[in-house]
Amino acid sequence: MNYFPDEVIEHVFDFVASHKDRNSISLVCKSWHKIERFSRKNVFIGNCYAINPERLIGRFPCLKSLTLKGKPHFADFNLVPHEWGGFVLPWIEALARSRVGLEELRLKRMVVTDESLELLSRSFANFKSLVLVSCEGFTTDGLASIAANCRQLRELDLQENEIDDHRGQWLNCFPDSCTTLISLNFACLKGETNVAALERLVARSPNLKSLKLNRAVPLDALARLMTCAPQLVDLGVGSYENEPDPESFVKLMTAIEKCISLRSLSGFLEVAPLCLPAFYPICQNLISLNLSYAAEIQGNHLIKLIQLCKRLQRLWILDSIGDKGLAVVAATCKELQELRVFPSDVHGEEDNNAAVTEVGLVAISAGCPKLHSILYFCKQMTNAALIAVAKNCPNFIRFRLCILEPHKPDHITSQSLDEGFGAIVQACKGLRRLSVSGLLTDQVFLYIGMYAEQLEMLSIAFAGDTDKGMLYVLNGCKKMRKLEIRDSPFGNAALLADVGRYETMRSLWMSSCEVTLGGCKRLAQNSPRLNVEIINENENNRMEQNEEDEREKVDKLYLYRTMVGTRKDAPPYVRIL
Amino acid sequence: MEKEGLGLEITELRLGLPGRDVAEKMIKKRAFTEMNMTSSGSNSDQCESGVVSSGGDVEKVNDSPAAKSQVVGWPPVCSYRRKNSCKEAATTKVGLGYVKVSMDGVPYLRKMDLGSSQDYDDLAFALDKLFGFRGIGVALKDGDNCEYVTIYEDKDGDWMLAGDVPWGMFIESCKRLRIMRRSDASGFGLQPRGVDE
Repeated sequence: MNYFPDEVIEHVFDFVASHKDRNSISLVCKSWHKIERFSRKNVFIGNCYAINPERLIGRFPCLKSLTLKGKPHFADFNLVPHEWGGFVLPWIEALARSRVGLEELRLKRMVVTDESLELLSRSFANFKSLVLVSCEGFTTDGLASIAANCRQLRELDLQENEIDDHRGQWLNCFPDSCTTLISLNFACLKGETNVAALERLVARSPNLKSLKLNRAVPLDALARLMTCAPQLVDLGVGSYENEPDPESFVKLMTAIEKCISLRSLSGFLEVAPLCLPAFYPICQNLISLNLSYAAEIQGNHLIKLIQLCKRLQRLWILDSIGDKGLAVVAATCKELQELRVFPSDVHGEEDNNAAVTEVGLVAISAGCPKLHSILYFCKQMTNAALIAVAKNCPNFIRFRLCILEPHKPDHITSQSLDEGFGAIVQACKGLRRLSVSGLLTDQVFLYIGMYAEQLEMLSIAFAGDTDKGMLYVLNGCKKMRKLEIRDSPFGNAALLADVGRYETMRSLWMSSCEVTLGGCKRLAQNSPRLNVEIINENENNRMEQNEEDEREKVDKLYLYRTMVGTRKDAPPYVRIL
Repeated sequence: MEKEGLGLEITELRLGLPGRDVAEKMIKKRAFTEMNMTSSGSNSDQCESGVVSSGGDVEKVNDSPAAKSQVVGWPPVCSYRRKNSCKEAATTKVGLGYVKVSMDGVPYLRKMDLGSSQDYDDLAFALDKLFGFRGIGVALKDGDNCEYVTIYEDKDGDWMLAGDVPWGMFIESCKRLRIMRRSDASGFGLQPRGVDE
C-alpha cells in the first residue's frame, strides 16, 4: 500500500490539520494509523470522560497540544451541580508521569486547582500556552506558579473563569527574563492588579499582540500600557473613570491613535460613555468588537461608535442597542459574519422598550450578506420575520434564537413558531448548530429532522408536545453530535427508540422531561459503551435502592459515549447506571 | 402523551395581543408554573426549578416580579455573564467601584476599587498597599495605636469614622476615603473602638 517511505507520508500528514481529517486518515490502514499516531501533535477531546489519560498518551505519545472539555454545556446555566466532575489533575499527573512534551493546554468547563497549575508549571519545560475557558477551582496563587515557572510562556488566556482572587502579586511572579509573552488575558480577575508590575511586564514583551485587562486597571494606566505596546492587535479594556479629565483623555487618545494594528476591542467592564470617542480613530480598522459587558452605555453612544466600524466581522453587543441600532449595524457593517445580542435585563424586570425585536433581526439579515452565526436574545418574534431572515441569509452555520419568555407564540398571529424555524432549516443547508425557543409543537421537529442534514448541535427548551418530536430529530439528523433538551415532554418511548444511535453522538442531556428511572435503566442495560448518569441533587430520600420506583421521573439525565466505562470520580448524587 | 397545563391551553386563553393583558400574564404564568410542576416530578414540594412551592400558590407567583427569573438557568445566559453584567449589580454600586483616597501629607490622591475588598481587613490591606505605608490597616483595626485615623465621606456628605457600621452598609454609602492624622482630630474626644473607658 505504501509506495513512499514513512517519513514522506508523515511529511504529507503534516499538512493535514483538522482533527476530523486526521481521524479519517488514521482509519485507512494499519500503517497509516501508526504513522499518524506518532505524528499527531494536536489532540482534541470533546468529553474528558470519553477516554482516559493513559490511553490517550498510549496512542499519541508525541502530542504537544491538548484540548479538553469537561462539563456539559448546560453547566453554564447552573443546571449541573458543583462537584459533578471534570477534574483536570489526573490528566496533568498522567502527562507529567509519561514525560509528554506538552506545550499547550486548552480547557473548557473543567475544574482546575492550584495544585494542578503548580504541577503543570513544573512538569513541562517547553510549556507555552494555557487557555482556560469557563473553568473554576483555582486562585491567583495558581497563576503565580504558571508565571514563575513557565520559562517559555507565550500565552495565558483566562476567559470567563471563576477565580478566587487572593490579590497576591502574581504579575510580579513573571521573572525579568520573561520576554516571550504574545497573549495575556486576565479580564475575569476581580481583584486589584499590580499595575506597576503589569506595565513592566508589557514593556519587556515586544511580541505582545493580545492584552485583556481586568476592572482594576484604570484609565491612566491604560494610556501608558498602550503607549508601551503600540503593536497590539487585540485589546480588552478594563475600566474607565466616570469623568476623565481633559488631559488624561488626550493622553489616551494619543496612545490609541498610534495603535494602528489594533483589530479587536473588548472589555469595557466599567465604562463612562464619554470615553468611547477616544477609540474613534481606530474604529475603521476593527474587525471584532465586544461591548457585551458595557451595561452602562446607552444605545446612542454605541451607535456612534459602530457607525465608524465599517470593516467589522464580529460584533457582540447588548440589546440596549435596540432595533434602531441594529439598523445602523446593517447599514454600516457589510462584512459582518457573527453577531451576538445579549439581554441587558436578564431578570425580565423592566419594561424595556429599547430592547430588540424581530425588526432588528430582519434588518441585520437584509443588510449583512456574509452573516453566518447569530445568537439573538429578544422578547418577541414572528414567523414572517423568520421566513424573511431565512430568505435573506441562507448561509447560516449557527442560528441561536432565544425568546426570553418560554412558550411565547408569534406575537402577531398568536401561532406557534414552527413555520418560522422550519423556514430557517429548509433554507440554511449548511446549518450546524441550532437553538430554538418560543411556542413550538412537534411540527418544528419534523422540519428539523427533514431538512437539517448537517445539524450537529441542537438545544431545545420548553418545546414539543409528544415523543414524536424527539424521534423526528433522532431519526432525521444523521450528523447530530450533541443534543440537549430541557423542560420538554419527551419520555421513554423517544429515549429508547434507537439506543445504538447514542454511540454516534458525543452526548445527550435531558432535564425536566418525562423520562423515568426505569427507562434510563433499560437504556443503560445493553449499552456498555455509554455512561448513563442520573443527577438527583434534591432527592436525598432516594438513596435506598429497595424503595425506588421505576416510574419516578428523572430530574437530569446526561449520557455520553465512552471507551473507558464508568468514571470513579462522581459525587454521591450522581448515579451512573 | 397527555398535555398537562401546557401547549394549547396557552393559545386558547389568548384574547388580545399577548403580553399586554395583565390577566393574561397571570394565566400564562400559572400554566407555565403548572407545567414546571408536572414535568419536574410528582412531589410538588420538590419543584426543582424553584418556581412555585407546593400547592401552586398562584398569588405568590403573580406578586413576585421576578417570578420568571426563578426558573433555574433561564434565560440561557451563562452564569459568568449574569454576575458581571447584571444591571442590578451595576446600579447598586453606589459605593462600589472606584473612590478617591487621600492621605494627609501625601500630595496626590489615589483611587481604589471598594468592590474588590470583602471586609474591613481587606480594605486595611488594600490601603496599606496603596500608600506603601504599613499602619493604615492598623488604624482601621485598632484605632488607638496608630498615628492615623481612616474616615470616609458618606452619601449625605458627612465625614464618618470607618469601621463603625457593618461592611455592607459601609460600601453602600462610602463616596471617598481620607486617611487623616490623628493629631488633627485630637480634642474631639474620639472613643477608641472596643475599649471601655
